[in-house]
Amino acid sequence: MLSRVVLSAAATAAPSLKNAAFLGPGVLQATRTFHTGQPHLVPVPPLPEYGGKVRYGLIPEEFFQFLYPKTGPYVLGTGLILYALSKEIYVISAETFTALSVLGVMVYGIKKYGPFVADFADKLNEQKLAQLEEAKQASIQHIQNAIDTEKSQQALVQKRHYLFDVQRNNIAMALEVTYRERLYRVYKEVKNRLDYHISVQNMMRRKEQEHMINWVEKHVVQSISTQQEKETIAKCIADLKLLAKKAQAQPVM
Amino acid sequence: MNENLFASFIAPTILGLPAAVLIILFPPLLIPTSKYLINNRLITTQQWLIKLTSKQMMTMHNTKGRTWSLMLVSLIIFIATTNLLGLLPHSFTPTTQLSMNLAMAFPLWAGAVIMGFRSKIKNALAHFLPQGTPTPLIPMLVIIETISLLIQPMALAVRLTANITAGHLLMHLIGSATLAMSTINLPSTLIIFTILILLTILEIAVALIQAYVFTLLVSLYLHDNT
Repeated sequence: MLSRVVLSAAATAAPSLKNAAFLGPGVLQATRTFHTGQPHLVPVPPLPEYGGKVRYGLIPEEFFQFLYPKTGPYVLGTGLILYALSKEIYVISAETFTALSVLGVMVYGIKKYGPFVADFADKLNEQKLAQLEEAKQASIQHIQNAIDTEKSQQALVQKRHYLFDVQRNNIAMALEVTYRERLYRVYKEVKNRLDYHISVQNMMRRKEQEHMINWVEKHVVQSISTQQEKETIAKCIADLKLLAKKAQAQPVM
Repeated sequence: MNENLFASFIAPTILGLPAAVLIILFPPLLIPTSKYLINNRLITTQQWLIKLTSKQMMTMHNTKGRTWSLMLVSLIIFIATTNLLGLLPHSFTPTTQLSMNLAMAFPLWAGAVIMGFRSKIKNALAHFLPQGTPTPLIPMLVIIETISLLIQPMALAVRLTANITAGHLLMHLIGSATLAMSTINLPSTLIIFTILILLTILEIAVALIQAYVFTLLVSLYLHDNT
């Protein structure tokens, strides 16, 4: 603090140094040294989990242990109390009854609701721990799931060649099918052309046959002269008459 | 007897030095702080209680009012612990002194009112006239409202002082009645002792309730003025 006084005095003496006065506290703090003591030895000794045992909520157990070799603590206590009462070091007054009632109510309350409050506090702590534990477990579970997914992915990669084989087969089949289709189409086309030629040939032959027949008929008809035609007709009529007579004669029999 | 009745309300001095300061500074020693997450049962229950009270009290305020949360929570804890510690035999309760209660109530009330007048002057002045008053009554009503506003800190302080002091006095009186009857008539002693026990239970409740009421009213004044 005196250094600040010095700085302000210097500021009044030399006005150019007035701006430097603002740096005064910073300079003051910069010269203070920290971390001069010994650091804690690791591991720091752990805190005890439970407090020291007490009897009647007030007197620690060590007091009783301390007294046992020498004198009984209860006898000592009773003696002290009776001494204080009889010599009126402690005066029984209105305050005594007030004290009795207050302490009585307190003891009753503690005895009745003590375990309940203790369990409640324990439950609060347990909830906090459970939350943290939950977070930790969730993180572990997440990572475990990631590991399992990775493993299954790796296993799938091992079996990928089945997929490729199936795809290859599929493609080969498709190629085969296409080839056969085309083959069939070629066959059909060729057959079509050949059928055409055959039908053309058949038609030509039929036409030639008909033409030949017609030519033969025409020439035969031409070759029959009129004379022969008359003779043939007369002969046919005579044959017919004969047949008719034969036919008539039959049913008479 | 008369001297003894009010003897417990004299501010205690040790060789002329006021011990009341030490007594007022004692209750925070009973509320430990801890930098660990999991503590012993005492700290856990106290932290849970403080969290419960602060949440309960500060939900009704807006952001500006919640800047007072440290003040109000420490106020209620101080009054509650001081009142409860005063129930122990032969102890001194600082809240029985009007001087201390005035010192607590006046600055808090004044702070709330002045904050209200500084920020929202129209709203703060509007408190002086309730809604729906017939016109001829307005001047009188303004005067009445002003008086009721100005009396708030006095009411806060005197309420707390009177309640705690009256409780302590009653306990003393009935205790001395038990003392007097114990030499005369034993069964009536037991009856009076039962009354004393009931009174003790009431006193515990009063101690807590008064703390609550004080803080609640200050928080209400704050709510009006933010």
